[in-house]
Order: sequence, then C-alpha cells, then structure tokens
Amino acid sequence: MRIRSYTLPLFGLTAILLAGNILAAEQGPTIDFSRDILPILSDKCFVCHGPDTQDTEQLRLDSLAGATSDRGGYQAINPEALEESEILVRLHSKDSPMPPQDAEKPLTANERELLARWIHQGGKYATHWAFIPPVKHRPASGTPAQDTQSTHSESIIDTFVATQLAAKGINFAPSADRATLARRAAFVLTGLPPEPEQLVGFLQDKTAGAYDRLIEELLNHSRFGEHQARYWLDAVRYGDTHGLHLDNRRGIFPYRDWVVRAFNDNLPLDQFITWQLSGDLLPNPTMAQLIATGYVRMNPSTAEGGAIPAEFQMKNNFDRVETLGSVFLGMSLTCARCHSHKYDPISQTEYYRLLAFFNSTAENSMDGNAYEYAPIMHVPQDQASWTGWIDLQAARKSLLTQATDAITVPDNFSEAIVQRWHQSSHEDRLKLLAESAGPFVKTDFHERALEITANLNSARKAFTTTLIAQDLPEPRTTQVLKRGEYNLPQGDPLEPGIVRVMGEFPSGASRTRLGLAQWLTSPNHPLVARVLVNRIWQRTFGDALVRTPEDFGLQGEQPTHPHLLDWLAVELRESGWDLKHLLRLLVRSRTFRQSSAWRQDIDDPQNRLLARGPHYRLDAEVLRDVGLWASGLLDPHMGGEGVKPYQPSGLWFALAHPGSNTKQYVQDEGNRLYRRSLYVYWKRTSPHPMMTLFDAPDRESSCVRRSRTNTPLQSLGLLNETQRVEMARKLAERLLRQVDHTTGRLDLLFTLLACRNPSATERAACEMLLKTMSVRFQESPDAALALLSQGLAPRDESLDIAELAAWTQVTNTVLASDIAILLY
Amino acid sequence: MHRPFQDHSLMLTRRQLFGRAALGLGTASIAHLMHDRAKSHEQDASEGLHHPAKAKSVIYLFMSGGPSHHDLWSYKPKMTEMFGKQLPEHIRDGQRITGMTANQQNGLPVCPSKYKYTQQDNHDRGVWVSELLPFTATVAKELCVVHSTFTEAINHDPAITYIQTGSQIPGRPSLGAWLSYGLGTMNENLPHYVVMHAKSNHAEQSLFNRLWGTGFLSADHQGILMRSQGDPVLFLSNPSGVSQADRRAQLDALTTLNQEQHKQFGDPEILARIRQHEMAYRMQTSIPELMDFSSETEETFELYGEAAKTPGTFAACCLNARRLVERGVRNIQIFHRGWDAHGSLPAEHESQCKDVDQACAALIKDLKRSGMLDETLIIWGGEFGRTAYCQGGLTKENYGRDHHPRCFTTWMAGGGIKPGITYGHTDDYAYNIADEHGDPLFPQPTKEEWTPGTMHIHDLNATILHLLGIDHKRLTYRYQGRDFRLTDVHGHIMHDLIA
Repeated sequence: MRIRSYTLPLFGLTAILLAGNILAAEQGPTIDFSRDILPILSDKCFVCHGPDTQDTEQLRLDSLAGATSDRGGYQAINPEALEESEILVRLHSKDSPMPPQDAEKPLTANERELLARWIHQGGKYATHWAFIPPVKHRPASGTPAQDTQSTHSESIIDTFVATQLAAKGINFAPSADRATLARRAAFVLTGLPPEPEQLVGFLQDKTAGAYDRLIEELLNHSRFGEHQARYWLDAVRYGDTHGLHLDNRRGIFPYRDWVVRAFNDNLPLDQFITWQLSGDLLPNPTMAQLIATGYVRMNPSTAEGGAIPAEFQMKNNFDRVETLGSVFLGMSLTCARCHSHKYDPISQTEYYRLLAFFNSTAENSMDGNAYEYAPIMHVPQDQASWTGWIDLQAARKSLLTQATDAITVPDNFSEAIVQRWHQSSHEDRLKLLAESAGPFVKTDFHERALEITANLNSARKAFTTTLIAQDLPEPRTTQVLKRGEYNLPQGDPLEPGIVRVMGEFPSGASRTRLGLAQWLTSPNHPLVARVLVNRIWQRTFGDALVRTPEDFGLQGEQPTHPHLLDWLAVELRESGWDLKHLLRLLVRSRTFRQSSAWRQDIDDPQNRLLARGPHYRLDAEVLRDVGLWASGLLDPHMGGEGVKPYQPSGLWFALAHPGSNTKQYVQDEGNRLYRRSLYVYWKRTSPHPMMTLFDAPDRESSCVRRSRTNTPLQSLGLLNETQRVEMARKLAERLLRQVDHTTGRLDLLFTLLACRNPSATERAACEMLLKTMSVRFQESPDAALALLSQGLAPRDESLDIAELAAWTQVTNTVLASDIAILLY
Repeated sequence: MHRPFQDHSLMLTRRQLFGRAALGLGTASIAHLMHDRAKSHEQDASEGLHHPAKAKSVIYLFMSGGPSHHDLWSYKPKMTEMFGKQLPEHIRDGQRITGMTANQQNGLPVCPSKYKYTQQDNHDRGVWVSELLPFTATVAKELCVVHSTFTEAINHDPAITYIQTGSQIPGRPSLGAWLSYGLGTMNENLPHYVVMHAKSNHAEQSLFNRLWGTGFLSADHQGILMRSQGDPVLFLSNPSGVSQADRRAQLDALTTLNQEQHKQFGDPEILARIRQHEMAYRMQTSIPELMDFSSETEETFELYGEAAKTPGTFAACCLNARRLVERGVRNIQIFHRGWDAHGSLPAEHESQCKDVDQACAALIKDLKRSGMLDETLIIWGGEFGRTAYCQGGLTKENYGRDHHPRCFTTWMAGGGIKPGITYGHTDDYAYNIADEHGDPLFPQPTKEEWTPGTMHIHDLNATILHLLGIDHKRLTYRYQGRDFRLTDVHGHIMHDLIA
C-alpha cells in the first residue's frame, strides 16, 4: 500500500461505488472486531501487513496504531474522517486493489463488505478474544456475572446452550433413555460400558440422584484415570521408543502410569502441569514429582551416526517449545522459529525466550540409542508396586515416629543414644533400629525395622528406570537463530521469558521451568484453562467448543459458545483446578443428557448448536477394550512396561534398522495379551496397526484431536484381526455358559454392548446369521475348529464346536457393528 | 471419482457458511455445493484438480539410503587423475559434513568411480550411464535425468523425512498422503495409495510410518502397505474357517444392525460405514486377483526378470505397480533399502543395482507398450547423494562414500516428462551443482528465486504435483492456523522438464 496510483476519473467511480456501500454498511449489524474482522485481516492481509513484516516502512494492520499511522498524507484508517480511510479506497480500487490482484488469497465480496462496515462503524481495534483472560459472563445478557456461585453450576451450562437454541427458536432434544445415558457416561468417563450389575442397579434405582451416584462411581473407578490419561498421552506424544533413526526402546512408562494416578487421585491440574514442567525444581521433590518431569523428556530423539549434537540440541528444543504451544497454549508457535509469527502476535525473540527455559536441561542432545537415556531415576514398575512402595514409606514413617516417641521418654535410653538418634537422618535411624548388635535389638522396633528394611530392599530391587528432567548447574546460552538454523545464532543472549500477549510473567518467579509453570497456571493466563477445558469438552461431547483445539489463534475457529467456554475456564480455576468437578458438571448437564438422534427440525450436521447429544465412533483403544471386557478377557493389571498383543508378523522388521532393538516384535503371552490398550507398546515409527487403522497418532508429534475416519480397511480389521476373533469366541463362550437359550443370549450380548435388549429386527438378523452359521459349521466341523483356534486363550472344550463357532460369528459381527463401536 | 481435497474445501466453505449464518448471510448454497461435489465424482482424472493433468498415476521408486550418483550417473573422468588426493578445499567450500567423515584420518581423498561409463543416445546430448545399470541404459530415450537435485539434510532420518514430507522434523503429511488428499481414487475396490517395501540384501537404514503417514491430514490418506508376507493388505483374509459365503452372511446381518442404528440416530456416517464394509468385501476379491500374477505372460517375466516371480522382490513390486496402475490406482511408492554404502560400496551397489536395474527398465517398457507410460509418472531417486571423497580405506577396488546433499541424481519418466534429456550440471567432482562450464552455482532458493539448472527437493515435489494436475501452492490444509502445503513456502515447478 505504498503507492497511490489511481487516477482521478477512477477515483470518481470508486467514490460512487463506495457511496452505495456506505449505505449498505451503515444498515448492517454491529461489527465485532475480534469475531468478524480480525480473522479476515489475519488470513488475507497479515502475510504482508502483519506482525512478521520485516520492512519498518511497511504498513502494519495488526494494531490500531499501525493502521492509523500517517502514510504521507493519508492513513489506512482515518479516525477523524472515516470515509477518507485508504482501506476503503483500496478495497474497491480497480487499478490498485488491496489485496493485489495476484494475491494468493483474494477477499470475498462478503469480506469486503464486512471490512467496509467495520471502517464505517469506527474502525476500532480490539484484542483477539483468546488473549483476554476469561471472566464469567451472565448467560443471557452476556454481562459479567456477580452471583454465579449461587447458581446451580450444571444448569449454567444449559443456560448458555439454551440461549443459542432460543435464538433459533428450538429447544433441547429430549433426554436419552437412562440405559443409553449410563452407557454414554461410562464410556466418556472410563472408556468402557457400565458393568452389568452397575447398569441394573442404576436402572432399578428410581430415587432422585441415581444418575449422580452412578457418575460418582464412574469417577472413582480406577478405569477413569486410565481412560483420561490416553488423551494426555496423545497431546504430549508419549511413546515407548526414541522415535528417530534406530527408534530404540526408551524407559519412560512410569510417566504414563503417573499420569493415570494423577487423574485417579484428581491431582489439581495446576499441580499436574507444574510437576511435569518442573517437578525437579520444586523443593525436596518427591519421587512422583520427578517422574512427572518425563514430560520434558518426551521429545523424539536420535543418535544417528554423523548427526551433529548442536543441531539436535536445538531440534529437541524446537520440539519442546512447539509441543508446549499445542498442549497448553492451544497455538502453534512453529512459525516463530524462523521469523515472527505471520498471524499471531508472537515474535521470533519470544519464541527463543520460551526455548531458553528448556535449553539448559542436562541430558545429551543425542540419546545414545540407550534405554536409560540419562538423567534417569529408579522407580517402582507398576501401579501395584507403586502402592506397595507408598505403603512401605508410610510404615517406615510410622515406625520412626513411634521410635522417636519412645526414645524421648526419659530413662528409656542412654543420653548418647538419644543424641545419636536426633542427629541421624531418617535413613540412618532405620539402620540404627535394624542394627543386629544395636541398642534397639531387644525392642519390637528392631523386628519391624528389619522387616521394613528387607521389604524396602526387595522393592528397590524390582525398580525400573524412567527418564526425568534436570538442569545443568550453569545454564546454556540461548540466542535467536536466524531462520531457525542452529549454527546461525544472532543478537544478545536471551533471558528465559514468555509471550507478552499472554500476560505477565509472575512477579518474583524464577526464570526457570518452575517460573514457566507458574506463568501457565497463574489466574490471569488467558489461554491455559480455556485450552484444557476445551479439550475436556471435546472428549466428553466428541467435538470441542473451539473446533480447532490446536489453534486458539487468529486463524483458529471462534468458540461455538464463547461465554460457556470462558465460564468453564474460570470455574476450573476457581474449583482448585479440579478435573473431576469439571467432568461432573459436563456429564450432569442437560446438554450432555440429550438424545443423540439427529433432528429433522434443524440443519446442524456438526452439532454446533449442541441441540443433540454426542454421537461418534469410539477411539481405537476403546474398540479393543470393549471387546476384551465383554469377553471377560480384560486383564485389570495396571501399569508396567508396554504390552505386545497379536500383530501381523514382519511389520517392524520390514522397516527397522538392523541395529535397532525394536526390529523384532516379540509377542507377549498370557494375561499381557489382554491388558487395556493404554498399555499397548508404542513404537513411534510403527505403532500397532489396529491403533493406526482407527486414527491413533504416531506420537512423534503432539496430537490434540484425532481424525475419525471411515475406511474399508477398518472393516477388515474389525472382522478379521486375530484378537477380535479371539474376543468374539470368548464372548460367545460367555453367552453359551451364562444363558441357555438364544433369546437370553442375544439379550445379554446386546446388554453388554448397547445396554439394552435387541429390537425385533436386530434379533431377527442375529438369529438368521446364527442359523446359517450353525448349519454351515455342523456340516464343516473342521471349519468350526479352525475358527475357534484363533488366539491363544484356551477354548472351553465343554461347549459344542459348531454352536460355539456359529455364536462366534454372531458376536464378531455385533462387536463390529455400530451398536458396539459408536458412542451414542 | 472421490476427491478428498474438494470435499474438504467444501466442508470449509460449509463451515464458513454456518459460521457466517450468525451474521444473517444465509446458508442457501449448501445444496448447490453438495451438487458440485457429486459432479466431481464423475470427473476424468486428466482434468486435474487445478489444471489439466499430464499424468493420472505416479510410481515413485524410492532408493532409500542415498544411491551414489558417482557410480551410477555422474561421469567424471577428471576424478581419475585425482585418485587418493585430497579434495580441493575450494570444492568443499566450507560445507558441513557428517560426523562420520569430518575428522577421519585420511582426510577427504578423492574417490573416482571404478565403473565404466558409456554414453547412451537420448533426444538430447546423450546421457552417460554406468555399467551398473545396463538395463536402465536401454531406456535412456525415455528418461529425464536430473543431475542437480539437492537437499539441505545430511543424515538419513531428517533427509528422508524431508524429501517425503517437506520437513525434516516429523509431523507433516507425506507426499503420498498429499497426493491421496488431492487426487482421490479411481478404483474404490483397491487402496488408493499403495506402499511396497522391496527386498534388499543390504537393508541397513530404517524406514518410518511417517514416510507414508498423514501427519495432520485425516488418517484415511495414509499409504496402505502391500506386503509380500502374510496378507497382502493387513487383515484382508477372513479368519480360517470363515468362507466368503460366511462373510456375506455376516455382512448382511451387519448391514441390518447398522441400518437399525441409522434409523434411530440418523447420522449419515453410519450409511457411509455400510458402504465401507461392502467395499472391504469387494477388496477381498480384487486384491488377491491383483496379486495373482498367473495371467502374466512369460514374455513379461522375461522383461522384468525371474525375480518378478518371487513376491517381495523389487521386480515383483514393479510388476505389481503396473497392475495397480492398470486398475486405476493413482499413487504407488516402492521403497528399496540398502543404498547407504559407507564402506563396501562396490559390493553393495552391485547387489542393489541387480535388484532394481532390470525391473526399472522393464516397468518403463511395459507401460510404454501398453500405452500407459504417457499418463504414468515414474520417479527414481533417493534422499541424497554420496560424497566424491572416500569414507574409510580407499583402494581401486573398494571404497565407501558418505552422505552428500549438495547434488545427486534423480530420474523421471513418462507422465508429461520430457523424454530423453539430461538436466543440470555438476563440477568436476560431482560435488557442487554447476553451470555448463563447471562453475559452482551454490543455489540458495527463496520463495521468489530459483536458480535455473537446479532442482531442490521442494522443486521435485512441486513438479510431481504439477504433473498430476495439482498446484502445489493451492493444495493446502489448514492446521494450527496455517495453510500447510507439501512444499511449505518453497517449490518451483520445473517447467524445463515438462513435455
């Protein structure tokens, strides 16, 4: 926009065109800058006139100051005389239009009109909504609320939703029936259907609060944490291998198990964040806090021969900064690695300031292809041993307390012993108690100390290792890297720092990862709570309030219900970052409880109005877990090294480097074949095919939203994969053993998978299949036996082969049907 | 024809319309848009997505590990005189080299190729081909040999990720996924994007799912592995004991169950899934039929070589590629590992060339005789080249070469490519891309500028897309606020190579 090149006669024409537009514009509805204008400026103008503009002479349209600056006798926006604003002229200019005629993204007529209307209404600027800290607004009026505490919280959600429904002249959909609702809530909270007894209990409980009680049971089940953890592991790109080149094994699964515990224990999310980013920097960090720092170590790494360590020091850090952006800020920071962000107000310097928080961690930038890629620590290897370890700590503490009490009783022990006791560390006190010729040998403390010591030692022996974060004693220097090239540092060394548009760095906080965590969890942070709430909404309703959960920036979508998002974000914080509280609000809301049936009275295929309940295909892990659960195969063991269920042979070998220790897939045996899918071994360069077939990410980079595809190969997987055939057989065995007639067996099958009995049509279809298959397998017992030999779980030999095979075909089919694989 | 990119664009438009509905601008044109989509199914592949396509299908013969241009394509007689002498400083020009040779004791001794070259006639000035590629030499008149391909990455993982996804860091969609997204499918009974791993005696570098993965694109654009072991496509076969008639009975029941579900909930996805189940059923016939080579003539096997009868060989993969193209599959990649010759290059490359040479030539001849070469783009190349200097001990008979990103040779054929030409020059050491006088060009492409005579890997990818009717600047997908594309903000279409 440097040259005014239009000629006078054309100007006249433009003016006439403008006059028409002015009329139209002035009649239009009020423009909301952040909602209506900023996305246009960002998408169509900022490429040249945005935050990344190198040329200081260039017009900037990303701030009012820039837009109103004097361009030599004219202004892009002239607040004194709006009609003279250059934007208006150039918008409609024939010979010198903006954006220029050859622009990759021209303006649409509608966008021109909006821009014109905006100028005519004053050309005011406002901050992008996501950069303004959320406040609680009153649902109807949109004004800030003072008294929401007194309002029943879950009905608040409905009030926000109802406001938009009312504007369309529609109401909520009717409630889903109770059984469907129980299934829905159980899937959303625990990733599995309700247990049959639980379902019956709920359906029989006609008293008020029955649903709330079901919710509490689900929230308190250990499956809750396992299910919720999955989403987090996608976001932080958890994997069991290094990810690059050899893609060797990496020992970090205790982190995964810690995430499960954190959710089950309802660790406040602010602490959940703080421990992960900076547990090692907390005073006297606990083992759990250190395990949590595995977050910092989650970046894919390499030890490729010839790779340059300094380059990977930077690549590892790019990955960490950009993952931080996705996970906590709901924003890509990637652009700012090489130049200031094109759209969002994030400068390249700010990117490298953020990077500086991570640039001083102690591990080598190359992983040495090592399982124990230091720094590591020794920790219990699964949930049971974790609990055992915690109990032991408690026993030790209690013993030492009692011993201290006993010692301080006058005359029990000599002065020397009392003194030695008080000068000893906890560790040494236990040793003292356990000393074979020691002063306590005759007390009952001695025996207990011996036992505890022995137990501690054997527990330690069974420890595994996990990667943790530590800082170097002297921080590394961080500078801006020209074009993101590791060998082109420029400018002064940078102090670690934050993105200014997202609030202040907390005063007094240290410039370390701990300070970074304090910034993220500070009450005024505009993004973190919103971003978390948005993803919690997404996993409950299937789609998020901001439909681009990975982008809250200028190019992202606006929230479907902005005030609802803000209200929930504030509520999350005010509740003490209480995840279970938030989920409780969501699943108890009327919005959640609506029937999932599509409505004839509205055209809203994406359910942006939330005028019906959630309806979507379940995730890969859930599909597998449901089958294992229904068939009774599911092994409840929690935690530990990733498990390797059936997988077609040769998949890893076909890709792997001969030197890789993950080139051979060694399938597990016994119960390990039947663990929950959360525990399936995650080789990043080749995850389990039944996971990727159903849209699981590779975990090489952050994923906060999985696609939900619908492909023919999924059909093949559902019907043919070994584990699915095996679970169908075990489910058939269960039906045959538990019930002695077809009707009841089908009832049980449908109750397990759909929480209801089959309809007449469904029943007829299943019976027909059963009949066809019975005839077939009676005629071909060999075929029946072949089918029943899939999978390692032993066959119940007391059952008739043909009948079991026929039922296996039925269960395999129903397990693959939308009755079983959808949330509704 | 099903076209995901157009569908996606429509979804965006639709979303924008719904978004704008709040402003009172209406949603009237949705039906119109849907109508347009229906029309796109009937489009001919040659119409292209953005402009008429020169090629309907692409077969990418990827030589993973980095084939040595010195020993295959770059005839540099002057290097012979320099045998064992240090590479002149000005040639290297301060370039960073990998940690494997940066500090080796014998420095950087010049390593001429031990192989004889002969000049083959083409439609240009002729092309020099090494004796390691006797069969490929016979199709010189079909090849467009580019000596000036280059990249910035010097290690396998970043380099192969770069050439296949446009970024050295994992997380982006692969070339194949972009093509799938842009091209859609012409045969719904076969996977739309097929990846094969050919056997090699020296499979020493790893491959990664990300090379045919979808990054942030929807997961249905991922490459489908067609394997020589077990099921050709994962989970294709019914469990033992289950016949196709049994499966039919299952699917009939399944359809009824899903229709019931649809009656109750009305989600169109359910109907789509019913169709996918049926398509899967058809694939159970069409894929085994595809993999059954018994209808191929002896003459064809002579063309491809005996190895084509052994599943999983490069030759069998090439023959399969032709069969796929015949059946309307548009997007095929064959990965052949083992080109990373750090130590015993002659032994390894001889074996590698034996794997691929005859089949490459056969594929071209075979497509040509059936009239399909014109609409099938074939690309042959690796992620980088190899060094002019020796890695490890140098003798006349044995040597090794390290990774070399500054220039390497890629060839293309068919599908709108100028046949029988060479493109680009290198200096006397095939170390730097040079002008026709041998003076180095040191290309540093920017968004606006491109150095004639050079082909950055982004340029290669832009050209592949162009030939298939796709504008690499317009095939975009918005993720995290950015309209991503395969070529990032780079890429120049190599018009000089296009017929």
